[in-house]
Amino acid sequence: MSVLGWRALLVFALLAALPLVPGMSRYYLLLAFDALLFGAIAMSLDLLMGYTGLVSFGHAAFYGLGAYATAILMERGVQSVWACVGFAVVVVGLYALVVSYFATARRGIYFALLTLIFAEVVYTFFRYTQTFGGSDGIQGLPDATVLPGLVIDTPTRKYYLVLAYLLIAYAICRVVVASHFGRVLVAIRENEDRARFLGYNVPRYKMGACMISALLTGVGGAIYPMRSAFATPDLMLWTESGEFIISVMIGGLGTLVGPIIGGAFFTILRDKVSSIVDWYFIVIGGVLIVIVLFMPRGLLGLRRIFSRRAAA
Amino acid sequence: MDYVLTVLLPQLLHGLVFGAALGLLALGLTVIFGLLGVMNFAHGELYMLGAYAGIAVIGVAHSFWVALIAAPILVGLVAAVTEMTTLRPIYRREPLYGLILTFGLALVFREGARQIWGGDMRRVLPPFTGSTPLLGMTYPNYRLFLLAASSLILFALWLFFTRTRAGVVVRAAVQDAEMLDGLGVDVRRVFTLTFAASGALAALAGLLLAPIFTVYPQMGVEMILLAFIVVILGGMGSMGGSVVAAFIIGVAQSLFSLWMNPQRVAIAIFGIMIVVLIVRPRGLFGREGVLE
Amino acid sequence: MILEVDAVSKRFGALTALNRVGFAVDEGQIFSVIGPNGAGKSTLFNVVSGLFAPDAGRVRFRGVDITGLPPERVNRLGLAKTFQITNIFPEISVLDNVRVAAQSRTPESGRLASLWRRPDVDGVACALLETFGLGARRDAHARDLSHGEQRYLEICVALATDPRLLLLDEPTAGMTPGETRDATALVRKVVLERGLTLLLIEHDMSVVMGISDRVAVLHFGEKIAEGTPEAIRSDPRVIEAYLGGGDD
Repeated sequence: MSVLGWRALLVFALLAALPLVPGMSRYYLLLAFDALLFGAIAMSLDLLMGYTGLVSFGHAAFYGLGAYATAILMERGVQSVWACVGFAVVVVGLYALVVSYFATARRGIYFALLTLIFAEVVYTFFRYTQTFGGSDGIQGLPDATVLPGLVIDTPTRKYYLVLAYLLIAYAICRVVVASHFGRVLVAIRENEDRARFLGYNVPRYKMGACMISALLTGVGGAIYPMRSAFATPDLMLWTESGEFIISVMIGGLGTLVGPIIGGAFFTILRDKVSSIVDWYFIVIGGVLIVIVLFMPRGLLGLRRIFSRRAAA
Repeated sequence: MDYVLTVLLPQLLHGLVFGAALGLLALGLTVIFGLLGVMNFAHGELYMLGAYAGIAVIGVAHSFWVALIAAPILVGLVAAVTEMTTLRPIYRREPLYGLILTFGLALVFREGARQIWGGDMRRVLPPFTGSTPLLGMTYPNYRLFLLAASSLILFALWLFFTRTRAGVVVRAAVQDAEMLDGLGVDVRRVFTLTFAASGALAALAGLLLAPIFTVYPQMGVEMILLAFIVVILGGMGSMGGSVVAAFIIGVAQSLFSLWMNPQRVAIAIFGIMIVVLIVRPRGLFGREGVLE
Repeated sequence: MILEVDAVSKRFGALTALNRVGFAVDEGQIFSVIGPNGAGKSTLFNVVSGLFAPDAGRVRFRGVDITGLPPERVNRLGLAKTFQITNIFPEISVLDNVRVAAQSRTPESGRLASLWRRPDVDGVACALLETFGLGARRDAHARDLSHGEQRYLEICVALATDPRLLLLDEPTAGMTPGETRDATALVRKVVLERGLTLLLIEHDMSVVMGISDRVAVLHFGEKIAEGTPEAIRSDPRVIEAYLGGGDD
C-alpha cells in the first residue's frame, strides 16, 4: 500500500464512506459509479497522453470491447465477475496488440488517426452484426456475482465494485509511472529520438504503454454492463473516445489524479447539462477549446505552473 | 457484357465521381496538415456546413448556381475567422493540440448545425436532370457535371501549385513549413488564406455531393474518417498521393458495394489500408523523413 | 581496433554527403574528425551511430558488423553519442535526464520487471553530475539550464549509458574560447579516467589539436588526410581545404 501514500488512502476511505451518507439516493450512487468509471478510464488514457505523449482517439473500442465481452458471457449464463473480466482482458488484449503494433510504427498524429480508424471498424462491425444485437446491442443482462452468494445487485454493491476497480487501476498506474518503464515513457514524451540513442526500443515501449492503458480501459468496460445490464455499439462511438480525451484535458496531463477528477467532473457535467439543455455538445466542445487555448496542462497542471512560479 | 454495361460501368463512374469529390476534401486536409501542422478534425464539418449553407442560399436566391458560388465563400469566411481566433495561438505547440482543438470545433459546428437546421435528413435537388447516352449506357447528367467540375477544380489546383509563384511557395512550405520565414512572406496571412481556401474546397465538395447524398448534421463524420484513410493511404504530407488515394478509395467503395453490404464495404476499405501499410508503411507516396 | 569505418558512402538525392570514407579507431584513442561546415562530419556520425544506413560500405564496432543497425541496438553494444544541437529531455529535472540514461544498463532494462521495479541509479547519476559541475543544479528543469550547462548535461546523458566508445558532435558548439578550453580539458580528463575511446567531431581545428591522438580531415564528403595532429597541421591539402573552403 505504500505506493499509494496516505493521502490517496484517505480519499479512497472517504469515497468508500459515500454510500453511508444519509439520504444518498439510488440515482446519485449510480451517477457516482459512472463518474468513477469515467475517471478511471481517463486515468488509463493519461498513461498514454500525459506520460508517453500519444493521443488515442480509439479508446472507446477498448472500452466497448470490454463491455461486449461481459455481455456475451452473461448472455450465455456466465455471471462471474472474474470470468467476465478475464475474458475482457483476453479479447481487448488481442485487439490492442494489433492496434498498437500498427499505430506505434510511426509517431504523433499517425497514432491518433490509426487508433481512430481501427476503433471505427470495431464499431461498424458490432453495429451491423446481428449476432451481437446490431444497433440495439445486448440488453437485459443478469446481475454479476463476485462469489457464490455474493451478487452485485444493489447500487451500493455496484458502487463498491467500481471503487475496487479504481483502487486497483490507480495502484497499477502509480507503480508503472514510478518504475523503470515509466521513466522511459516520460523520456519518449520529452524526446523520442534521444531515447533511442540511450538504447531504448521506442516502439516497444509505446506498445507496452498502449497495452496497459487498453487493458485497464477494457476492464472498466467489462464492469459497465454489471451496472447497466447492457452493452451497445454506442459505447464504441468515436465521440466517446473524444470524451475520454476531454476528461484528461480537463483534469491535467500527466498527473493521474487530475484525469480521475476530470472524468468525474465531466460525467456530472454531462448529466446535469444534458438534462437542462439539448445542446450540451456545444458546451463540451467549447470547454475543450477553452482548455486547449488557455490552460493546455489542464486544471491540475495549471496549479503546478503557478506553484512553480511562486517558488522561483 | 450486359453486366458490364448496366452494372459495372455505371458503378465505376459513380466511384470516379465520389473519388473526385473526396479528393477535394483530402487535398485540403493534406495542405493544412503540411502547412499549419494541424490535422483538422473539423474538416468534415466544413464539408457539412457547405451543404447547409448551400441549402440556405438556395432558399433565398432559388438558384443552385448562386449557391455553388456563395456557399464556399461563406464557409471560407467561417474558416478564416476560426483560424484567426482558435488555431493561430497554438501553431507553436505540439500537433496533438491541434487535433484535440479541432475535435472540439467539430463538436461545436455539428451541434450548431443541428440547432439551426434540425437533425432531419434533407435533400438538395440537382440543378438539372436527365441522362446522357454514354459508352452504350445512359448516365445521369448531374453526375457527369459533378465529375467534370471536380476534375476541373483538381486540375486548376494542380496548375496553381505548379505554375504560379504563390502555389509553388505554398507547396514548398507544405514540405518544409520553416522555409516560409526566410522568404519574407506574411506567414499569418498565408495560413489564414490557406485555411479559408481549404474550408471553401470542403464546402464546395459538400454542396456538389448534396444532390446525390442526403444532408444531415453528422454527414461530415463519415467523410472525415474516409478522408483520414485517404491521407494515410496516400502518404501523409503528399498532395498528389492524397488525390490518387481518393480516387482509389472512391472506386473501391463503389465497386465493393456491388457485392457487399455497407459495413463489409467499410471493413474492406479498412483492409486495403492495412495491407498498404504492411507493404508500404509510409503510404503509397509517403517519403522518408516527412513528419518524422 | 574498436571502430572500423570501411569505405562508407551516403547520398541524399543528388548530394553525396560521404564518399568512400574509411578510418579505424584504436581502443583508448582520442580520434578527431575535422572539416569545414558541410563536410559530412555529422552525417558520418549518424551513419556510425545508426540513424542512417549507409548506401555502401561497412561499419564494425568491437568486431561486430553494426552497419544499418538502429540507434538503440548500436547504443546497447556500447556506443553513445551526443548531438551538435543540444538534445536532452527538456521538461524533466537534470537528475531525471541522467537517471533515465543510467537505468538503460540495469538488469531490469527491457524485461517485464521494469514495469514495477525502479532501479536505484542515483549514485551513478549524481557522481556524473558532480564531475561536470552540475551537482547543484540536479533538481532544475533541464530546459532552464544555461547553454553551457546543457552541453555538459548532454555529455552526462551519453556517459550514463556506460559506453566503451563516446561520440561527441561539436561538444563546445556555442561556447566562448575560455569555456571551450575548460570543456575540452574536462572531457579529456573524464575519458582518460574511464579508459574510454573518444571519437570527436569539430570544425574548429584548434580544439582538437591539443587532445587528439589522431585526426582525420573531411572535405566535401571525402577524407583528404589522416594522421597525427602535427602531420595534419602541416598537410598542404588540409590548409587548402580550410583556407580555400571559405570557412570562418
